[in-house]
Amino acid sequence: MLTYWQKRFRTGVLTERPEFDERMKVLRKRLKKGIAKHFAGSLAIRMVDSGSCNACEAECNALSNPYYDLERLGIRFVASPRHADVMLLSGVLTFNMLPHVLDAWEQIPEPKWCITLGDCPVMEAPFTRTFAIEAPAAEHLPITHHIPGCPPSPDRIIEGLLEFLEKLDTVKS
Amino acid sequence: MNESKKRLIARYAVDRGEDFELITRFDDGTIRERVSKEDPRAASIMPRYPAAIWFERKIRDDFGIRFEGAFDQRPLLHHERWPRDLHPMRRDFDVHTVLELSDYRPYRYEAIGGDGVFEVAVGPIHAGIIEPGHFQFSQAGEDMLHQEVRHFYKYRGIEKMLEGKTLAEAAPVVARISGNESVAAQIALARIAEAAAGEEAETGIAARRALLLESERLAHHWTDLGFIPNDAGFAAALAYASARAEEVRRWMAELTGHRFAFDAIASKPRPWNPDQILRRIAGMREAIDWFENWIVGIPSLWDRMDTTGILPRSDALRYGCVGVVARASGVALDVRASEALYTHNGFAIQSEESGDVAARFKVRIAELRHSLELMERFVPLCSEAPFVFTEKGEGAFESFVESSLGELYLAVEMEEGRIRRFFFRDPSFVNWQALHRMMPGNIIADFPLINKSCDLSYAGNDL
Ligand code: SF4
Repeated sequence: MLTYWQKRFRTGVLTERPEFDERMKVLRKRLKKGIAKHFAGSLAIRMVDSGSCNACEAECNALSNPYYDLERLGIRFVASPRHADVMLLSGVLTFNMLPHVLDAWEQIPEPKWCITLGDCPVMEAPFTRTFAIEAPAAEHLPITHHIPGCPPSPDRIIEGLLEFLEKLDTVKS
Repeated sequence: MNESKKRLIARYAVDRGEDFELITRFDDGTIRERVSKEDPRAASIMPRYPAAIWFERKIRDDFGIRFEGAFDQRPLLHHERWPRDLHPMRRDFDVHTVLELSDYRPYRYEAIGGDGVFEVAVGPIHAGIIEPGHFQFSQAGEDMLHQEVRHFYKYRGIEKMLEGKTLAEAAPVVARISGNESVAAQIALARIAEAAAGEEAETGIAARRALLLESERLAHHWTDLGFIPNDAGFAAALAYASARAEEVRRWMAELTGHRFAFDAIASKPRPWNPDQILRRIAGMREAIDWFENWIVGIPSLWDRMDTTGILPRSDALRYGCVGVVARASGVALDVRASEALYTHNGFAIQSEESGDVAARFKVRIAELRHSLELMERFVPLCSEAPFVFTEKGEGAFESFVESSLGELYLAVEMEEGRIRRFFFRDPSFVNWQALHRMMPGNIIADFPLINKSCDLSYAGNDL
């Protein structure tokens, strides 16, 4: 453990790309404000993969790495849908996943919102529709907001969440 | 255990119109059998090759071929509400068919009976940000007696989706079969195209591909080196390693314009700065040295990893395991060992003997460091020559690539420049089947740790 603290003190706080950090700073501030306003400072997200290539999940996981560190803004990815405000849906909604996705959605208490993540759930990823694919998701769920990209990068996901919060100023669940 | 036994790589079928052809790929060659369409039956090989279980169950779902002597006849891709007697890989099945939910037919999980033995069902949606799949445990208190993996929740029908497409049209889909091994899949497809054109990639192109392939391995192994200790309660490792994985993603974006290098193999290489990449590689070599030095000094972590989730070498061989899972159990198997570019640049297989979580963790550290050494040698060899998909192609072609998860096998049949049959065997497809061998003697709380140490793909497996 000593090695760790030595390293910690030697390294201090890294700023690898100052422009990036500046932009993140602004985004974080706005995000924090939005979450305070609409979710009393704590936004709980249940991420559901309905048939992704797993890159969208990887980018969501990246949100927790020290470069983005989303959790300190009050955003938590929760295990149970019953603890969630938002379902973040990735993937092409496969025939085999559809009933489980709808199940998870039902378990989220009102008020709740569904955000689609990445090009898959809106059928804009390069996949063509097959017998095993049930996307677009909007045919099965009420979608409040969409975050495009294949996959959307972590900073793009943060922006997307911000857009969602701004939408809440006008739309109610 | 008979060590000289062949390794089963893949078993799949093709619809030939009149009848079916059953193709079995072993490491020493391919066996082809005719199967009549009137009465589609074949002899099962699952009693001899346990990894054949999923292959044969999949063939049955895909084509309706029954296997005689098979001790497991349950559906695999076709879940509870799948329409009866519908076999999508038959040629007369329309890919755009809209499926109607059928009546609910419960799936019979493998379970161990006995006094006080109970079952725990986990999934398909798991806690946390992770792909869907189902795990069924037979428990005696904390102890796992048995565990069954049930997958194919993410079954997208990609094999069928790609039929009739040119290789260039298929490329963006192939890049997105499984995000954590996208570069490997792209290279596998490019090699199919080269085989179809009767060519081989020149060194400059091969080196550039290898540079990206090893970058992908860095991102993947760093992620695991963080998540494995995290699942043992040591979160500081995740903070450190996930930051390194992020840095690799960023340099992949610099090299290819995309953090996962999607579509990079088939696009024109971007201008790049080799010196900068070399500096990054040097920096990352320091990082892995530091990380290893730090992590070996955390005894409570090794307490959790040592002797946990052992896959005996005999099981790794019997199931035909690949990748880190095989190498950590003393099986020296790596596609890169058969590639001139790698062997000429000092490639050596990294392996361990103990087959436990600790062994898989150590193999990942060693491989990460070795990838960096290899990348240093590849950088000066890289050219900016573009790769273009051939429009030609007639016949059957196959390719192997060592992805970050292990040996990836791709077999494509072409007809007049279009795909007639696309078969993709993800490394995870065999490794998932051996996972249950690691559970007996371990407690259920260690399952996430064991599972993560193997880090298998759901998307690539389910396809
Ligand atoms: S949107 Fe793109 S990155 Fe995300 S799951 Fe779909 S294919 Fe993968």
